[in-house]
Amino acid sequence: MDEPVITVRDLTKTYVVGEIRVPALQGVNLDIARGEFVAVTGPSGSGKSTLMHILGCLDRPTSGQYFLDGRDVSKLSRDELAAVRNGNIGFVFQGFNLLARTSALDNVELPLLYRRGGMSARERHRRSTAALEAVGLADRAHHHSNQLSGGQQQRVAIARALVTEPSILLADEPTGNLDSRTSMEVMEIFQRLNAERRITVLLITHEHDIAEYGTRVIAFRDGRVLGDQAIARRRAATGELAALAPRPS
Amino acid sequence: MSLLMTLRVALKALNRNKLRTALTMLGMIIGVAAVITMVALGRGAQSSIEDQIRSAGTNLIIVNAGNWTVGGVHQGQGAATTLTREDAAAVRDTVPGVQYLTAGVSTRVQLVTGNQNWSTRAQGTDVDLPLIRSWTVSEGAFFTPQDVASAAKVAVLGSVVRDRLFGPDEDAVGKIIRVRNQPFKVVGVLASKGQSAGGDDQDDTLFVPYTSVQRKLLGITHIQNITISAASAAETTRVADGVTALLRTRHKIQPGDPDDFMVRTLEEMASVRTETTRTMTALLASIAGVSLLVGGIGIMNIMLVSVTERTREIGLRMALGARARDVLLQFLVEAVVLSLAGGLVGIVVGFAASEGVRRFVGWPTTVAPEAVLMAFGFAAATGVFFGFYPARKAARLDPIDALRYE
Repeated sequence: MDEPVITVRDLTKTYVVGEIRVPALQGVNLDIARGEFVAVTGPSGSGKSTLMHILGCLDRPTSGQYFLDGRDVSKLSRDELAAVRNGNIGFVFQGFNLLARTSALDNVELPLLYRRGGMSARERHRRSTAALEAVGLADRAHHHSNQLSGGQQQRVAIARALVTEPSILLADEPTGNLDSRTSMEVMEIFQRLNAERRITVLLITHEHDIAEYGTRVIAFRDGRVLGDQAIARRRAATGELAALAPRPS
Repeated sequence: MSLLMTLRVALKALNRNKLRTALTMLGMIIGVAAVITMVALGRGAQSSIEDQIRSAGTNLIIVNAGNWTVGGVHQGQGAATTLTREDAAAVRDTVPGVQYLTAGVSTRVQLVTGNQNWSTRAQGTDVDLPLIRSWTVSEGAFFTPQDVASAAKVAVLGSVVRDRLFGPDEDAVGKIIRVRNQPFKVVGVLASKGQSAGGDDQDDTLFVPYTSVQRKLLGITHIQNITISAASAAETTRVADGVTALLRTRHKIQPGDPDDFMVRTLEEMASVRTETTRTMTALLASIAGVSLLVGGIGIMNIMLVSVTERTREIGLRMALGARARDVLLQFLVEAVVLSLAGGLVGIVVGFAASEGVRRFVGWPTTVAPEAVLMAFGFAAATGVFFGFYPARKAARLDPIDALRYE
């Protein structure tokens, strides 16, 4: 077994709304090793979004521990969490969240601007260009985000997540706004990055067929892990794309 | 994130919405330009008044006969009969630093020549008056010391009086005019000087020897005033003090008793006028300052809208590693850039407007460097002050809520 990237112990999260306490996570234990492609599924309200926020260091647990790369990040301050997000986590969102009227290259460069200790403009440019190449959009570097298709926008967002060379890629419903073919293309990139670069991918989805692109699926319900198993018949996006008729151009 | 990079991010953000940026800046531009132009107008008025007074001579000292009280009833300034030609002579001979001096007695008179008549002020003076008041004689000559000694019936006309009595084409020198029914011979005409700083027409006047006014027109022996010019402007105050001391001695005024004369320098009168225009300038500038304030509120309004509109962007930046202070600084810098850029353009517009007013309206304007600095500084402060609240609002957003914001 490879070294663990994520270790979660007895994690709970309780929201207090007025006088009502809403438990969102009730004692979650989780180990994810480097190079895994984990799909987290569950209906809405199951706590998977809350888990995603805590694993993404956007929120802190009520109790329990969360080790990222061996470091306990469950009790860090807001600024320290921001530094962890910047250095260790790459986010891909359902709604892409690109800056409008801004070139693909500038969008990809964005996290590097917040790099602690700074980074030279030349190095930022080199890394951003490389990240765009990795998602096959080198030729679109100077297109504005609104001049790109949905699939292309999500690929720019993946490049933006990659550019900091994070420990984990955290993708929250990345195919939610895309048609099935484009979804396949995006999953192809995740699979390739996972296979070629051994990047740990954490995919939050409620679609079972999307979950099957991973190596392991964790099912959530009522704030608890309901099931955790390896995927027997993993889907391979490359082969499926090849089998499809070529995209009419 | 470094300040330089923050600045670049802010510029990019402002560049993304050019029309809004321009309109927000417009508030600042108008405010700064208004302050600069208003102060320039006030300053222009002030320096033109100062120039007029200076041309009249800052080394001028005027001694007026003072209050005279008869049985407890004040008779008004100039009513005292204690000022004499001997006082004038004593001042000339004993007070150091006196350059020129003239005794003065004046009265209102009716002038008649042929079928023309005119009412004006006859000013009885000594021969040095043209030197003190910078009058130039355009026709004939000023009267002579002999004329003064003999109380001769001679007159020198101001250009307005000359035109009223003779018309512009007729020769005046050598003609006889009747002053209170007594024949006076015109010996000279003065070149026009135009209006005084107080708005009087200085050319509507008539100069005669003060002795003639005393003996031929009024039948008095005292004089009403003495006009003195000090050898230099720096000596004015000292000469004025010397005159006061001498006259108190000559008039036997006990220490503690009030003067029966009044010594004033033009500098004092100038400072009163300057004070008035300064108040006016301050008033204009504060009205213009209100528009600066309104411009600042405009910036705050736009920044608040901008923060709301870009909530998702803020959430994204936070998710990507921006600290609260990075977000705070970004929006603060955006506000400051708006106000500073507006301020800079405002300075240019202010200069142009001041120059435009000077050239096309004809009012004197002087752009005051401190007004430029003040307006610009205020613009910058406005940016920080009105930018802070929206920026703090942005920085306090929760990244999860911000990312979910629709």
